[in-house]
Amino acid sequence: MKHIIEEESKYAASAKAFRANVARDLGNEELRSNFRGAMDYLMDKRKSAFSSEDELEVLREQCKLIKQRCLAKLPHLLEQLEGNLERNGIKVHWAETITEANEIIAQLIADKKGSSVVKGKSMVSEETALNDYLEERNVECLESDMGEYIVQLAKEHPSHIIMPAIHQNKKQVAKLFADNIEGFEYSTDVDTLIQQGREVLRNKFCQADVGISGVNFAVAETGTLCLVENEGNGRMCTTIPDLHIAITGIEKVVEHLSDVPPLLSLLTRSATGQAISTYFNMISSARKPGEKDGPQEVHLVLLDNGRSQAFADEELKQTLQCIRCGACMNHCPVYTRIGGHAYGTVYPGPIGKMVSPHMLGLEATTNLPTASTLCGACGEVCPVKIPIPKILLRLRQESVKPKSQQPEVMKGQGAGRSSVEALIWKVWAQVHKSPTMYALSMWGLTRFRFLMPKKLGGWTSVRTAPKPAATTLHQRVKAKQEKAKQSQQERG
Amino acid sequence: MQQLNTQHLRDYPKKPKQVYLFGTCIVDSFFPDTGMDAIELLEREGIEVIYPQGQSCCGQPAYNSGYKDEAKAVALSQVKQFPLDIPVVVVSGSCGGMMRHHYLDLLGDDPEINNFCQRVFELTEFLVHVLHLKPVDQGPKEKVALHTSCAARREMGVHLTGNKLISQLANVELVIHDYESECCGFGGTFAVKHADISAAMVADKSKHLVATDAVRYVSADHGCMMNINGALDYQKQSLRGEHIASYLLNRIKGNSSKGSL
Amino acid sequence: MTNTKADIKAVSKTARGNILAKLKAEVSGADYDKLPEEVPFNYPEFSREENLAQFISELEKNHAQVIKTTKANMASVISEQLKALNITKLLYGENDEHSEVIAALDSKIDLQTYDFSIDNNKERLFNECPAALSSSRCSIAATGSIVLWPDENEPRSLSLVPPVHFVIVDANELYADFTSLIKAQQWQDKLPTNVVLVSGPSKTADIQQTLAYGAHGPKALIVLLINI
Repeated sequence: MKHIIEEESKYAASAKAFRANVARDLGNEELRSNFRGAMDYLMDKRKSAFSSEDELEVLREQCKLIKQRCLAKLPHLLEQLEGNLERNGIKVHWAETITEANEIIAQLIADKKGSSVVKGKSMVSEETALNDYLEERNVECLESDMGEYIVQLAKEHPSHIIMPAIHQNKKQVAKLFADNIEGFEYSTDVDTLIQQGREVLRNKFCQADVGISGVNFAVAETGTLCLVENEGNGRMCTTIPDLHIAITGIEKVVEHLSDVPPLLSLLTRSATGQAISTYFNMISSARKPGEKDGPQEVHLVLLDNGRSQAFADEELKQTLQCIRCGACMNHCPVYTRIGGHAYGTVYPGPIGKMVSPHMLGLEATTNLPTASTLCGACGEVCPVKIPIPKILLRLRQESVKPKSQQPEVMKGQGAGRSSVEALIWKVWAQVHKSPTMYALSMWGLTRFRFLMPKKLGGWTSVRTAPKPAATTLHQRVKAKQEKAKQSQQERG
Repeated sequence: MQQLNTQHLRDYPKKPKQVYLFGTCIVDSFFPDTGMDAIELLEREGIEVIYPQGQSCCGQPAYNSGYKDEAKAVALSQVKQFPLDIPVVVVSGSCGGMMRHHYLDLLGDDPEINNFCQRVFELTEFLVHVLHLKPVDQGPKEKVALHTSCAARREMGVHLTGNKLISQLANVELVIHDYESECCGFGGTFAVKHADISAAMVADKSKHLVATDAVRYVSADHGCMMNINGALDYQKQSLRGEHIASYLLNRIKGNSSKGSL
Repeated sequence: MTNTKADIKAVSKTARGNILAKLKAEVSGADYDKLPEEVPFNYPEFSREENLAQFISELEKNHAQVIKTTKANMASVISEQLKALNITKLLYGENDEHSEVIAALDSKIDLQTYDFSIDNNKERLFNECPAALSSSRCSIAATGSIVLWPDENEPRSLSLVPPVHFVIVDANELYADFTSLIKAQQWQDKLPTNVVLVSGPSKTADIQQTLAYGAHGPKALIVLLINI
C-alpha cells in the first residue's frame, strides 16, 4: 500500500504532544470556563432547533442515506462535478497531498500576479496550512471570518470548526484588538469589536485581488459550489476579487441539487440551532459576458489528504459522511474539558479523532482515539449518523494491532502497540475465558486483598482505591445454594 | 426535546420462570452484595435465578482497548455459559450493552449469538418491561439522585427504566442534578490512560451530585460508581452512590441503605 | 520557489488519476439500483396565511425588518425609511420592472444606477453607496429566506456591499420550503452564475456567542412585502 500522507504537516508534531497540551489546557481556568459557557450555549441552541423528535430522526436517516449514496458513487460524481464545473467555466484541480494543494493555489495566484488574498472560512485550507505557505511566498493572506480573523491576529489556530475563536472571551478579544489594531480603544462591547473588524476587513475586500473559500456542498448534477455562512465574508471573498479559488475535500460532493435542502437544514440546525444560515451562496459559474461583477476566474481544488484511505474501508468510510457541523464537539465532555487546541489537530473533538489519523497517520495521533470514554454523546447528535464511538473503537484496534498484520488498513497501524500491554490482555483473556483460571484468580484477589495498593497511578490522584470484597459473588452464590440444599436435607 | 435513542426499543417476553444472572466482573470481585440483592429482588418476584459459576467478564475491557481477538475469546466463552433459552439479566447497563449489541459485531451474526443477544436484559429494563415491577416503598422519606451510565443510557435506555422505578417509590423524591446526562469520566481504561481528563470529568460530576440535597445517588452501573464514589470519598464528602438493585430491595424491605464503596 | 504553470497541470493530472483510480477500485461492481430508499420527512401542508406568518416571523427573528406594502406605496415607504436612517443615496439595478417606484421616490434622494462594472469601481461601491434596492425571485416560508437571482441588471454585489439592503418580495412567490421550491422551479436545469438565499442582515456570534449584526454584509435588511 502506497502512502501519500505527508509527514511534514505541522499538525503531526502538535498532535503528538496531545498529553502535554491536555495538561496545559486543563489547568487554564479561564479557558475551561470559556468552553463550558460556549458548549452550554451551543447545546441549548441545537436543542431548541428541533421541535419534533420524529422530524429529527427522519431527517438524520435521510441525510445519512444521501451521504452514503453520494459516497457509493463518489468517483463518478467527482467526474460529473468536474465536467459540469468546467462547462460553466470553473477550472478544477486535484491534489493528493496538502503540499500539492498549496502549490496549485500559489501558482494560480502567481499567474494573476496576486499579492493580497482574503479568505473565507475554510477548514480544508487550515488542513493544508495555506496561510503559512502563501506568507512564505510573500502573499498576504487575511482571514475574514470574524472568528478566524481573531485567531489569526492572535497567531493561533481555530479551536472549533464552526466558531474558531470560541476559546477566547470578549475581554481577551478586546485586549487583542487594542494591542494589534492601530487606533482601537479597548472596549469589551461586542458590537464595537465587530464594527472594528468590519472596518478593517471591508477595506481588504475592496483591495484584495484573490478570494479563497471553502465549500460546504459541491453539486455534481449542476456543477454548483454551495457555501453556508452568516457574516457575508464568504460572499465577499467569492464576489469582489477578480480571482476566486475554492478548496474542498473530495467527500463534499453530492449527486443532486435536491440532496442539498435536507443536508443544509440539518447542518445549520445541528451546528448553531439556526433554521438556516443568513446566507446560502450557490456559485455555478465565473463571471459571464455582460455581467458587471463576480470573479473573472473561478477554480476548485479537490483535496484527498488521506480521505481515499478512509474510503477503502467499509467501516472507516462512514467518517466521510461528515458535513462539518461541529455538533459532536459541542456535546463532547472531553472537548468541553480540554478545549480545541489540546488535540493539536486541525479538526478537534470526536470528528477530529476520526479524520486526523487518516490525514496525519496513527503515529502522530495514537492518543486521540483512546481519549474518549465512548460515552456516545457525539454519535447521538451526529446529523448523518456516523457511529463515532464504533469508529473510535476501530481506530483503537488499528492502533494496537501488530505492525506487520495484513491487510494494512491505514498508515501508522500498530503505532500504539506496546508489547507489555499486549501481553497483559493475552493473559487477561486466558484467565477470563477459563472458569478454572478465573476462579483461581478471584481466590487470589480476595485472599490477598490486603495487598491491594492504596495508590493506583492516576486513579488515586483524585479518588480512593477500590477494595476487593472478602468473598466473591461466585462464592456467595455457591454458599447460598449449599445452605439451601442443607436446610432442604434437614427438613427432608 | 428529550434525546431518545430507539436502539433499545424491543419486544419483551412474558414473565419467565427462570432467568440467568450475569453478575459482571466488577460486582463479582468488588460488590458481591449487589449481586446477592439483585438475586433476592428477582426471587421475591417468584423467579428462579440461575447463576452459572463459569461466568467471568463480558469482554468489554479488552474490546474497548482495541484487543478484539482477546475480547472475542472471552465473549465466546461467556455465551457458552448461558445455553438455556431463558433471559440473561445483567446488573450493569454497560456490560448489558456490550453483550446485547457489540457481541453481534464481535462474534458475527450467527443464530446462536443472535439468540443469546436477544436474551440479554439490563436489570432495570427487565424489572420494568418484563416483570412490570411495582415496588412497594417501606422506607423513610428521602431525596435521591440518579446517575445513568452512558452505555446504559444510549444503548439500553436505562435512564428511562431507572427513572421509572425510582419514581414509583412513594417516599422517594428523585432530584435531577445539573448535566445529568453527561458522562462521569470513567470509560474503563480511559480513566487510567487519560487520568487527568477523567479527573476533570469526575470532579464536575461529583460536584453536581453533591449540589443536589440528595442523601444518596443511585446508579445501575458499578463502573461509574467506583469512579464517582472513589472521588467523593477522596473529597471526604458524605454522599455515596448505591446500586439500584440494593436500593430497591432496601426500600421494599424498609431497611435503610448506606451506599457502596 | 514557485513552480511553473506546467507543473501544477501535471501535478493535478497525476493526482486526478491516482485519486479516481483508488476510489474506482473500491466501487467497482457496485449495484446502484439496490441503494436503500431515502424517505423524507412529510411536512404538514400549510395555508397561504400560515406560510406568510411563518416567513415574516422567521425573518423578524433574524432581525430583518418586514414592511407590508403595495407597489403603489413602495416609493414612499422607501423614502421614509431612508429619511429615518439619514441616508440620501440609493443604488438600484438597471431593470425596468421597478422604474415606477424609482421615479416616485423622494426627489431629495440621490439615485445611483448600477450601470458600471465593479472592476474599476470598488472604492465607489464600498464607500459611496450606503443603501441599495433589489428585487427577489421568490422566497421560502419555513426558514424566512429570500431568493436573490442576480443578473446583468442586478449584480451580486448590489445586495451585498451597501450597508442597507431594501428587497422587494412578492407574497405570491412564496414557497413552503427549499425542497418544494427547487422541485417546482426545476432549478437543476437553469442555475445562473450565482443564487443567494438571504435570511436576515449579516451577523456573527464569533465573540463569546454574542450576536452582533452587520458583520461584513448589510447591517439592515428591509423587506418590502407586496401582494399580501
